[in-house]
Amino acid sequence: MWYNVWAVIRREYLQRVRSRWFIAATVGGPLFTAALFIVPAYFAGQNDSGSSDLAIVDGTNVLYERLAPKLEDAGWTVFEERWRADVVTELRQAATAGSFGGFVLLDELTLETGEAILYTTDRPSTVRQFSLRSAIARTALEYQLEARGVDVDAMLQGGELQVELLSGAGSDMEDPQFVVAYIGAFFLYMVILLYAVSVMRATLEEKTNRIVEVIISSMKPWHLMLGKILGVGAVSMTQMGIWLATGVLLVATGLPMLIAARPEMANLSEIREALPGFGMLALFVGFFVFGFFMYSGLYAAVGAMCNSDEEAQQAQIPVMMLLIVPIIMITGVIEDPNSTLAVGLSLFPLFTPILMWGRVAGGGVPAWEVALSFVLMFLAIFAIAWVAGRIYRVGILMAGKRPTLPELWRWVREA
Amino acid sequence: MNDDGFAIRLRGVTKRFGKHTAVDSFDFDVPRGSICGLLGPNGSGKTTTIRMIMGILLPDEGSVSLFGADPDLSRRTRVGYLPEERGVYRKMKCLELITFLGEIRGVRRAEGRRRGGEWLERLGLAEWADKRVEDLSKGMQQKIQFIGTVIHEPELLILDEPFSGLDPINQDVLEEIVRDFHERGTTILFSTHLMDQAERLCERVCLISNSKKVLDADLRELKAAERRGVVAVEFEGPDAWLDGPEIDHVERMNGGLHLLLRDGADHQPILERAVASGARILRFDLVEPRLHEIFVRHAGSDAVGNAGLPVRSGAEAAR
Repeated sequence: MWYNVWAVIRREYLQRVRSRWFIAATVGGPLFTAALFIVPAYFAGQNDSGSSDLAIVDGTNVLYERLAPKLEDAGWTVFEERWRADVVTELRQAATAGSFGGFVLLDELTLETGEAILYTTDRPSTVRQFSLRSAIARTALEYQLEARGVDVDAMLQGGELQVELLSGAGSDMEDPQFVVAYIGAFFLYMVILLYAVSVMRATLEEKTNRIVEVIISSMKPWHLMLGKILGVGAVSMTQMGIWLATGVLLVATGLPMLIAARPEMANLSEIREALPGFGMLALFVGFFVFGFFMYSGLYAAVGAMCNSDEEAQQAQIPVMMLLIVPIIMITGVIEDPNSTLAVGLSLFPLFTPILMWGRVAGGGVPAWEVALSFVLMFLAIFAIAWVAGRIYRVGILMAGKRPTLPELWRWVREA
Repeated sequence: MNDDGFAIRLRGVTKRFGKHTAVDSFDFDVPRGSICGLLGPNGSGKTTTIRMIMGILLPDEGSVSLFGADPDLSRRTRVGYLPEERGVYRKMKCLELITFLGEIRGVRRAEGRRRGGEWLERLGLAEWADKRVEDLSKGMQQKIQFIGTVIHEPELLILDEPFSGLDPINQDVLEEIVRDFHERGTTILFSTHLMDQAERLCERVCLISNSKKVLDADLRELKAAERRGVVAVEFEGPDAWLDGPEIDHVERMNGGLHLLLRDGADHQPILERAVASGARILRFDLVEPRLHEIFVRHAGSDAVGNAGLPVRSGAEAAR
C-alpha cells in the first residue's frame, strides 16, 4: 500500500518546489542576506580608489616601522618621508599635483594621545578613516607598552580566562557561543513553525475542497497524513539545504573574494569564527527534523478538525504556544543551562528542539542528556502520531462545527 | 469472489445527525452490471447513503456491503467515486491531477498519463492538459474530475449528482459516456434530483423521500405495473368534474392535463362525470406514467413539493 503514500509525497513535493513562492524564498533568502552585508560595505569602500598611497612623515622616528605593515595589511600603500623644515608645504604641493593621495603627520603628541593629522586631496570613507586611525593608535599604544615590558599582543586580544571546573561535570561540547545559541533557537522556531503550518494548510485545503473524500476512498487517512508530512518535510530539507549550500559558498569563496577586492574589510572574516561547526550543524538539523515531525503531526490534526482558515487560526494557538513558551524561556536557560529547571524543561520533548539547542550551543551540557532528549523526542513523535492520526482520521471527513475538547478525546478513544 | 451478484447491498441502514434522521432503515440493492438511479429531492438522504457506501460515514445501524463484503480499502479502490461537492487541486496541471488520482489507486504513472490523454482528447480538453485546473471553467473542471474518477477503470461507478452544473450539451456527452460504461459491464449508481434524466438512463430506480426509501424497482416493470394509473386529458368547458374521489393529483402537461388516479381507482366514472358536466372532451388517454408521477403517487405530493417540483391540486392546475 506504500505506492500511494509515495504518490502523495511526490505530488506534495513537486507542487511546492515548483511554486513561485518556493523559488522566490529559496533564491531570494540568501541573496537578500548577502546583499544586507555586502552592499553597504561595498558602498562604504567605493570612492577610495586612487587615494590609497600615503606618505608618512614620522616626527617620532619610532612609529613608521611598526605602522607600515599594519597599513599595508589594510590596503594602503605607504612610503616614508623624512622630517625636515617645510616638509608640509612640499608634500602639500606634490599631493595637490597628483603624485600621491596624501600624507600623515606623526609627532610627539601622537605617541601620547594617538592623535595624527591626515592631509589629503579627497576625503576618505569612514571605513578607511577608521582603519587608519586605529592602526595609528594601536601602534602608539604598542610602543608605549613595549617600553614597559608588557606582552602587547596578549593584552590587546582581551586576555584569557581559563575555566577549571571543580565538579568534573564538564562539557564534551564545543565552546560557548551565545550568538549561535540565540540565533539558532530563533531560526529553529521559525522553520519548525513555517513548515508545520504548511502541513496544516495543505490538510485544510484538501478538507475544505473535498478532494479528501476521493483520496480517502483509495488510501488510509493515516497514510495520507504521513505522505503530507514527509512531502513537506522533503521540501523543507531541500530549501534549507540550498540555503546552507549558498551560505557555505558565500563564506568560503565570496568572503575571500570580497576581502581580496576590498582589503579594508578584512575584519569581515571574523564572521567565519562565529559560525557553528559541522557538529553543531548536524545537531541543528537533528533538532529541526525531530521538532518538525512532532509539530507537523499536531498541526495536521489541527487542520483536520477545522473547516476554514479562520477556524484554523484560532485552533492552532494552543499548539503555537508550545513553540512560543521555550522561546520566552530561552534567555534564562542559556544563562543558567544546568539548573534543574533548565534541564527538566529542555528534556520535555516539545520544548527540546529550542531549549536543548540553546543549552548545547551555550555549552556545558553532558552528551548523555542530548542523547536522552533525542530518545524522548523519538518516543514523542510516535505518541503524537498516534493521537494526531486518530484526530485526523475522524476530523478530515467531518463537516460542521469544530470539536470541543471532550469530543476530541472521544475521537481519539473511538477512532 | 462471493458477491452474490450484487455490487452494493444495504440492509436496515440508519444514519442520524443529532436529532435528525438522515437515512431511516434503508434496504437497497444494486445488482452487478446494472445502471441504477438514486432519486429524491434535495435533502432526502441520497448523499448520506452514498457516503456510507463509500465508508466515509459509518451507519448507526444496519450493514453496508460492497462486492459482497465490508467496504474496506481494497474494495473501495475498485470503485470510481465522484462526490457531490467537486474537489480538485486547483494549482495542479490537469493531466498531472488525473495521473495522481490514478496513481493513488495503483495505476502506474505512464499508464495514467496515457489513459488521461485519451480521455482529455475524448472530452475535447486535449489542449488543456498542461494548464492549471484553476484556469478551467467550472464545467471543464467537472469533466477533469470525472476523468479522475474513471482513470483506474473501476468496476463500479458511484456518481453523486454527476450532471449538475453541466450545460445541456455536456450533459448529453456525459450521459453517452455513462451508457458506454454500462455497455462494457460497469455497474453504475448515480444520484440525481432530475427525474427525466433518470428515466432516460436507468434500468433500476430507487426513490427516496424524507430519509425513507419509497420504491426500489426495475424501471420497465414499474412503468408497466403503474400503467393504469395515469390519464392524459384535453378538454374545453367546465372543469368541476376534476374534483372527484378517483383523482389523487392533476398536473399540467404540454397543453393538456395528466390525471394521477388513486390506487385501484377506475377512470370510467371520471369520463362519465366530464361528459355530464358539459365539457367537450378532445382527448382521454391511458398513458405510461412518467417517473415523476410514479414518485408523486408513492411519496405523496408533500415530498415532491419540498423539492420544488410543480404539483398542484386539481382545479387549481386546470385553470
